[in-house]
Amino acid sequence: MAKAVEIPVREPIAPPLRVPNAAVRLGRLTLRKPLGAIGALIVVTLILLAAFADQIAPYPYDESIAGARMKAPSAQFWMGTDNLARDIWSRVVYGARISVTVGFATVALVTLLATAIGVTSAYVGGTVDIVVQRIVDAWMSFPALVIVLSLLAALGPGMLNLILALAILGAAGTSRVIRGATLATLQHPYVEAARALGSGHLRIIVRHVLPNVLATIIILATVALGTVILAESALSFLGFGVPPPYPSWGGMLSGSGRSFMYHAPWMALCPGAAISLAVFGFNMLGDALRDVLDPRLRGAGVRMRG
Amino acid sequence: MDSGALDPTLTRRDLLKAAGIATIAVTGPQLATRPAEAQPKRGGTLRTTVIADPVTGFDPHQTISFLTMVPLSFAYSRLVKVKAGPDVKPMTYPVEADLAESWTQPNETTYIFKLRKGVRWHPKPPVNGRELTSDDVKYTYERFLSMKNNGNRPVLESVDKIETPDKYTVKFVLKEPNAWFVDMLASTSTWIIAKECVEKFGDLKKAESVVGTGPWMLERWEPNVRLYYTRNPNYFVPGLPNADNVDVLIDKDPSSRLAAFLAGKLDFGPEYQHVIRRLDLAVAKQRRPNLQTVEYAWFTSGSTGFKVDKAPFNDVKVRRALSRAVSLAEIFESNAFSQGHYVPNPAVPAAAAEWSIPIDQLGPEGRKLYEFSTAEAKRLLAEAGHANGFKTEVEAPGTGYGPDFLDFVQITVKNWKAAGIDADLKLKEYGAFISSTIYGKFDHMFLGLRGAWTDPESYFYRWFMPGQPLNVWNINDPKLIEMIKLQRRTFDVAKRKQIVYDIQRYLAENAYFGVDGSVKVVSAWEPHIKNYMPNNGFDHGGRMMAAWIDK
Amino acid sequence: MRTYVLRRLIIAIPSLLIASLIVFTLPRLIPGDVVQLMFEEKGYGKDLEEMRAKLGLNRPIPVQYVDWLGRVVRGDFGESLWTRQAVLDQVAQRLPVTLTLGFEALVVAVLIGVPIGIVAAVRQDGPLDFVARSAAILGLSIPAFVTSIVVILLPAIWWGWSPVTTFVRFSANPAAYALQFVLPALILGTASAAAIMRLTRGMLLEVLRQDYVRTAWAKGLRERAVVLKHSLKNAVIPVVTVLGLQVAQIAGGAVIVETIFGIPGMGQFLVESIIQRDYPVIQGINLLIVVIIVATNLLVDLTYAMLDPRIRY
Repeated sequence: MAKAVEIPVREPIAPPLRVPNAAVRLGRLTLRKPLGAIGALIVVTLILLAAFADQIAPYPYDESIAGARMKAPSAQFWMGTDNLARDIWSRVVYGARISVTVGFATVALVTLLATAIGVTSAYVGGTVDIVVQRIVDAWMSFPALVIVLSLLAALGPGMLNLILALAILGAAGTSRVIRGATLATLQHPYVEAARALGSGHLRIIVRHVLPNVLATIIILATVALGTVILAESALSFLGFGVPPPYPSWGGMLSGSGRSFMYHAPWMALCPGAAISLAVFGFNMLGDALRDVLDPRLRGAGVRMRG
Repeated sequence: MDSGALDPTLTRRDLLKAAGIATIAVTGPQLATRPAEAQPKRGGTLRTTVIADPVTGFDPHQTISFLTMVPLSFAYSRLVKVKAGPDVKPMTYPVEADLAESWTQPNETTYIFKLRKGVRWHPKPPVNGRELTSDDVKYTYERFLSMKNNGNRPVLESVDKIETPDKYTVKFVLKEPNAWFVDMLASTSTWIIAKECVEKFGDLKKAESVVGTGPWMLERWEPNVRLYYTRNPNYFVPGLPNADNVDVLIDKDPSSRLAAFLAGKLDFGPEYQHVIRRLDLAVAKQRRPNLQTVEYAWFTSGSTGFKVDKAPFNDVKVRRALSRAVSLAEIFESNAFSQGHYVPNPAVPAAAAEWSIPIDQLGPEGRKLYEFSTAEAKRLLAEAGHANGFKTEVEAPGTGYGPDFLDFVQITVKNWKAAGIDADLKLKEYGAFISSTIYGKFDHMFLGLRGAWTDPESYFYRWFMPGQPLNVWNINDPKLIEMIKLQRRTFDVAKRKQIVYDIQRYLAENAYFGVDGSVKVVSAWEPHIKNYMPNNGFDHGGRMMAAWIDK
Repeated sequence: MRTYVLRRLIIAIPSLLIASLIVFTLPRLIPGDVVQLMFEEKGYGKDLEEMRAKLGLNRPIPVQYVDWLGRVVRGDFGESLWTRQAVLDQVAQRLPVTLTLGFEALVVAVLIGVPIGIVAAVRQDGPLDFVARSAAILGLSIPAFVTSIVVILLPAIWWGWSPVTTFVRFSANPAAYALQFVLPALILGTASAAAIMRLTRGMLLEVLRQDYVRTAWAKGLRERAVVLKHSLKNAVIPVVTVLGLQVAQIAGGAVIVETIFGIPGMGQFLVESIIQRDYPVIQGINLLIVVIIVATNLLVDLTYAMLDPRIRY
């Protein structure tokens, strides 16, 4: 039963033998996980918006369009304009850049940090593990907001600092889960076998441990993307995000978006919807990936009343 | 007695007079239709709001924040005060007696104040309603000047010594003549405090230590919820205050404050100084029929900092280009408070109506600063040798000043960029900004707010005199210094005004500051609130004490 | 059991110490210390050092830390550098407010999350599961500040009315006090409900596949009996864990919701104290939050131990 973990992991990682095979598989997956497919669609759209913002956005994000102050959504301005007469749709498109960049960069950093900490702590074990885990305990029990606010106050607002602060925050909890997965892997007979055969530590970690915790890492990362985007928007909402005039969704929602919300509700509602949709997409995708990659949660296991 | 305005009879006559003077400014049916003989009604609760807790504590000598001074204005008095009431036009600040009965100035550096007799402190421990004497005044101002972290110390800096010839007489001897001395004494940091409180509590930061001689007593402070005041039974003006209680709601959220006002839970407008945003004016007038309003400019405005002793701003042409590139119209068009209604400010903000020079009386170059033209700005830059513009960096607080400020920053930076001044915006956290940038610790430029003072002199004295901590420009101009010193020695108001005008002309001609403007705000109050007129300044208590509730 | 509790307590101590050290150090590293802020717009440069000395802020941080820790152990949390209010008094005023909000939110979260999670698991991949999961993920995706704004905004647009959020003290009107939290609690609770629902579903699915559940099916027990009696108890164990994590999440979400709804709780207090660099207050609140979170985790572990007989005391 325990060995079941390694089988499904190979599945998505192994290169597809033939292209049609992959397409068929993708089609089947879409049918089986329609929610995941929707999620994937949203995520892909988001990434495209971010990548091709210059081409997609009808106006520059900071251009005041003459005679178009606080216009309601229309054919010309899909999401209306704000109090500075800027096109909100264009700003939402550029805002996707912030979300995508902060999201992926933070998660990459978190994964790197957490894997390093988690795997090392579990692999070395003993006193090192105990000490590291106590530090992780403390780090996790420390109120998240304080760390981030203090760090951002110290570093100053800005994208890079935001990424650093969020990564430092996220790494502790993630490392705990990866440590757990590593511990489970280390108990497998083949790891002992590798040890007995005289494999070096690095070789054991790279060849045996990492591939087995990869599924966990991928699931954690996908789910984390949604959380990070949410956190980024919350911090921007509090005024600690990417500085204006560059648009971030949280920032658009908090400042003028809120003070004009009775008069131009679209100023707040559009970026709010964008945040929700983006996080929704990542969560859906994450959920589906979890179901696919984690065999224990795979459907068709139990048939009620069957 | 020259404190006649506090006499109820005169107040009513003033009201009549006001109906004549202020009809353009004041709307609402009350002043025009109500018979002037209406007797003030006593009792009831005045319901107002502040935008945050007195986070810096209640000690008037340890903060300059309006969040402290406004709450104190209900409970404290000072020797002289800025007159209040319907006959005082907003943006003017006539001084009248408060705790003093009268004052004389035997020579240029001596002032003698006669105190009212029988003034009693609030009947609260530890002072317990004892009589106020000249020793209290001396104690207060000696503490005022000796507290190291009193940011308002420059207000009374020219005082050399304070003497108390008898129980009801206070004598100030100044180091040098200062024509602004009485106006300074009327500013809202000069509350007379009780020695017993300082001795008992160590300082006056705690809410319990708020014991004054003002119209109301602070009954309790519920952080984040309210400040609640009750009538001072010992108040020295017979019959006042009219209202029994003042309930000051503490609400940080603008939309929630507006909702409370629209629901009739407040008697006064929901923003600072009872202002209502222009954006909300239509709905407010519709939901609160017969709302009384008055329009005036407030002191607060944006400010641009740069160093005149460093390139490129050592070139007057670059400084002129900086101002000409900025469209005040665009800034105030988007602002929720102004919606296009604003006044351009010379060095002394227009809110000091009697001292601020009209823009059309500036010199030829000074006037032009206020004429927005990207092309002219480009031309000036080219003349200064920056044909392709230049790159620079501008610091601004990213938190603390609210969304309207950030909109102002964005438009300004965009305007500059259009003219070729490509300023990279570096947002700082509010705390970091006010502890470093505004003291001149910045490399190139900053954008912030100005308008903390209600006296006109601070706007040039504290900003442009060498050695003053807020002279961030590093301006050290002998001609300017001479003029600033001269106006301080000039007691004749008309002559002094001419010098102050000259100073403003000189500052504009040299483009020693970036142009800015102030919002023409609208303050609003419910029709059932009588005998009230808003104005600039922290003295909300002073303006509300004669107001009464007609319900 | 007692040794287990004792051991867990002892393990918690180093975590607490490290956390308190971070709590103490981090705010002091922020540029613009409290003394500079107190001299806001004044700049009497030479007086800054004197003031720091008076407040004891010129000593090395480790010395300050030990001094502070010593006083905390004796129950003295100090007073605000700005308002000189005792930190403990302030906390005593604000903690119940946040606790009420948090408790109501947690109740909402459990009432929504657990039943939907059960239904979704039992009807796995059916339409009900589909709907429940989409709704849950949606709930998880919409940030509390978006929901709050929509909740305030929509009535204003539709009926020209928006909720007036003037805070009522418990002593003034207990019923109004409890009622005013309903809206923010619903907003905070829904976000947490989604997480709880997902976990309940996931865990229940796993349990439903266990041998003993199959046995129960084989015995011909009714669905309700199988799910509620045999499976749920085991599935609830991790849910309890997540509940613990949700406490932290609700505490985080509370900051923004408290700000929007003008609730004078701990969240606002904390953000303000960071902006003001009010070290004793930051330290006091944080230590308290850390203690609460550590205690919650401890409680969760103990509940876990009670629910799962495999865990040794």
